[in-house]
Amino acid sequence: MNLIFEISEHGKRCATIRTPDVKAVKTDKKYLRAEKPALPEVSEVDFSRHYTALSRRAFGVDNGFYPLGSCTMKYNPKINEEVAALPGFTRVHPLQDEKTVQGSLEVMETLSGYLAEITGMDAVTLQPNAGAHGEYTGLLLIAAYHAARRDFKRTKVIVPDSAHGTNPASAVMAGFEIINVPSDEEKGVDLKALKKAVGRDTAALMLTNPTTLGLFEKNIKEISEIIHKAGGLLYYDGANLNAVMGVVRPGDMGFDVVHLNLHKTFSTPHGGGGPGSGPVGCKKALAPFLPDPRVEKTEKGYKFVYGKKSIGKVASFYGNFGVYVRALAYITALGAEGIKSAAQHAVLNANYLKANIEDLYPTEKGRHCMHEFVVSMQELKDKTGVSAMDIAKTMIDRGYHPPTMYFPLIIHEALMFEPTETENKRTLDEVIAALREIYEEAFKDPEYMKAAPHHAQIGRPDEVKAARQPVVRYIKN
Amino acid sequence: MSDYLSATERETKEMLDSIGVKSLDELFEDVPADLKLKKLNLPAGKSQQETMEIMTALSQKNKVYDIILRGAGSYDHYIPSMVKNLSSRSEFITAYTPYQAEMSQGILQAIFEYQSMICDLTGMDVSNASVYNGANAAAEAMLMCCEKNRKTLVTFQNIRPDTLKVLKTYARRRGITVKVLPVPGGAVDLKALKCELGEETASVYIEQPNYFGLIENAEEIGKAAHEAGAKFVMGCNPIALAILKSPAECGADIAVGDAQPLGLPMAFGGPYVGYMACTNKEMRKLPGRIVGETCDHDGNRAYVLTLQAREQHIRREKAFSNICSNQAYCALVASMYMSAMGPDGMGEVAEACVSYAHYLADGLKGAGLKLKYHGDFFHEFVTESDIPADKILKALDKAGILGGLKLSKNEILWCATETLSKAAIDKAVDVVRRVK
Repeated sequence: MNLIFEISEHGKRCATIRTPDVKAVKTDKKYLRAEKPALPEVSEVDFSRHYTALSRRAFGVDNGFYPLGSCTMKYNPKINEEVAALPGFTRVHPLQDEKTVQGSLEVMETLSGYLAEITGMDAVTLQPNAGAHGEYTGLLLIAAYHAARRDFKRTKVIVPDSAHGTNPASAVMAGFEIINVPSDEEKGVDLKALKKAVGRDTAALMLTNPTTLGLFEKNIKEISEIIHKAGGLLYYDGANLNAVMGVVRPGDMGFDVVHLNLHKTFSTPHGGGGPGSGPVGCKKALAPFLPDPRVEKTEKGYKFVYGKKSIGKVASFYGNFGVYVRALAYITALGAEGIKSAAQHAVLNANYLKANIEDLYPTEKGRHCMHEFVVSMQELKDKTGVSAMDIAKTMIDRGYHPPTMYFPLIIHEALMFEPTETENKRTLDEVIAALREIYEEAFKDPEYMKAAPHHAQIGRPDEVKAARQPVVRYIKN
Repeated sequence: MSDYLSATERETKEMLDSIGVKSLDELFEDVPADLKLKKLNLPAGKSQQETMEIMTALSQKNKVYDIILRGAGSYDHYIPSMVKNLSSRSEFITAYTPYQAEMSQGILQAIFEYQSMICDLTGMDVSNASVYNGANAAAEAMLMCCEKNRKTLVTFQNIRPDTLKVLKTYARRRGITVKVLPVPGGAVDLKALKCELGEETASVYIEQPNYFGLIENAEEIGKAAHEAGAKFVMGCNPIALAILKSPAECGADIAVGDAQPLGLPMAFGGPYVGYMACTNKEMRKLPGRIVGETCDHDGNRAYVLTLQAREQHIRREKAFSNICSNQAYCALVASMYMSAMGPDGMGEVAEACVSYAHYLADGLKGAGLKLKYHGDFFHEFVTESDIPADKILKALDKAGILGGLKLSKNEILWCATETLSKAAIDKAVDVVRRVK
């Protein structure tokens, strides 16, 4: 389809504003640009058709099955969108007097309290704008904690080889060096390797539990002991909290700092890549370092408080406020029992899918998975030449969004399925049948699968060309 | 309780049977029993109707003003209906990051169009798909510019306080020095700047218009930065760029800013969207996602996330930035706004801002306030007066008007946009005149 620039016609207008009813003041010519920006000029009907066409070439949770492992593509309740669009929330300036924004402050304080309870932490900041931003913030807290104890030698952060790529990248941004530790045979942290890795230079271990393989880290108590004995802190990557919320809390497992993803666990939409929100919770000893400002409830109402030892600000104003409204509406609707039941059904759906395909799609044997599981298609590839990528692209032809591919890095030909709790059994049954057929197809017609998708918006794109000869903007011929 | 689950009890039972377990609890056998939680201490779940009532009641505890004369990083602009309507399509809202290009061409093309519009507005060659907000965009730009022997950022006391705070947070653990130069006249003092530049200067960061609303002589500042071998980074209000010289025309290496004024509500500070664009030379250091054009095996035009070798999921600890999620949906809204307004509409909005701001400034002068600075300004300006700022703002508040932002006991930072009118400004000025 055309780019909006390609349907642009000079002189066309769409939205218009009232002509100012005061004297026109012209800005001094020396400050003015030589030419108007070359933005599109379209009529309203062009505009509406263009963006409707774009939306029809997008695939959201409302369009169908979306089992993206590690991303928790659960249903985004419609009520959340409506409440976030209430004028009492959208038409409020961030620098209004505290007395005039008691509703917003109450949203923030209440949500922080709920998240602290769900994670077992003592204090929460909502400010970070995304998961990786939360990691960065959490690591700054850890750095500030060690520095306040004048323990300046703790320069290293330990990261398992199964970790999300953001973990090491965030740690480097926060000024740490990285030590990678391998996984053991059960795909958990190798305790022997961990014992060797820790020392007086250990600032923290970053861990996802359930791990990125969708397995609960059974040795969590031992891991916590090893890290704490060495004087380090335990960091919880909350990407997978959806599996265990209401069942077990990071704080009770021994974690000192956690980040959450409201856009995963708490049903706020992904919006094609953001905005997310990455609140950070911590234990009491780290609370003085949380970003400014925090919201406190007092007898005279809610107010902002600033900490003397705060790490400062990590984002402008108070973070992605609109996302908090949605998350609060979600937790309000679910309540204590609904939160737990969401986790239980996320795990149920994943295990149901796994149980019905694992004879063909091999995964970790003899254990129940948590909210997601990772299969390795290496054997199928050896036999037929059909790769994990080919399976993913064939799923597109059948109208399903593929699972996460080639992650975690320690599994060959990995596909990671996370159906989430909001998916229904009928869809799962259809997907099971489809995946079983796809497996058979790999033997019957591998070449056809290697060329998939055949019925999508486009065939496989040439990514090498895109990177070697980058065209990253429209330029008029 | 509304839990958004879809399994009936019968289905749950069938699924448990199929797995070969008796209960949901059995699936959690790997969790050590002594760690398991008895019950969350949260209120009981609410019906959908109650949830709506609770959230609506919260929203009503906020005060919504009819007339807004406050900016300082969050701006009240008219948002066209088509932007609100088309952006609310659930295919946009509920989609994930477009890693699967074959079923995400709509999202990818929308980002490509956004990148193109940001390039048009800034004059830059390359834009990323967005970062968290304007302050974070400035911080990422600061990190982009640092080299082994050049680790100082030079900036000024007339940038947004939040931006300065975020810059300092990001600098601290990376061995970066942030030098903040005073601005006695409100705008950048070129002579003073030149004295501060040296071999250790990695970049110079200014905001256009600056925090006090003044238009900077950006070209001269850029020249000074480049003469010292430093990069020049401009943080610009995108509405102002409809008429002001683009960062490219001013010689900037990187242009950043917050695109909130482009169709996003003030929403108590977020979500907003940080834009980041740079010259071709800096492209491979630009953090965040970038969409590129290519073709599929049949030669059809196709869009993909590209240059991913820069990013954390490939490079891990060697990545330039840890950014993963961005503000894609807000970027979509911003690009819809730019399409809806077009170059002429954006220009009209910018000019209306300028005209109303000057009318407001004249009115306030007539009411006894003085302008603190004397340079040319866009849509914000600072006043000082003998009457305490608190008194003025309180009187305006009583009249349902959100006055400017108090900067100090006697100083106020005002803002005017196209949402105002002569009558609205006259009303505000009249209130100020009566404050004794």
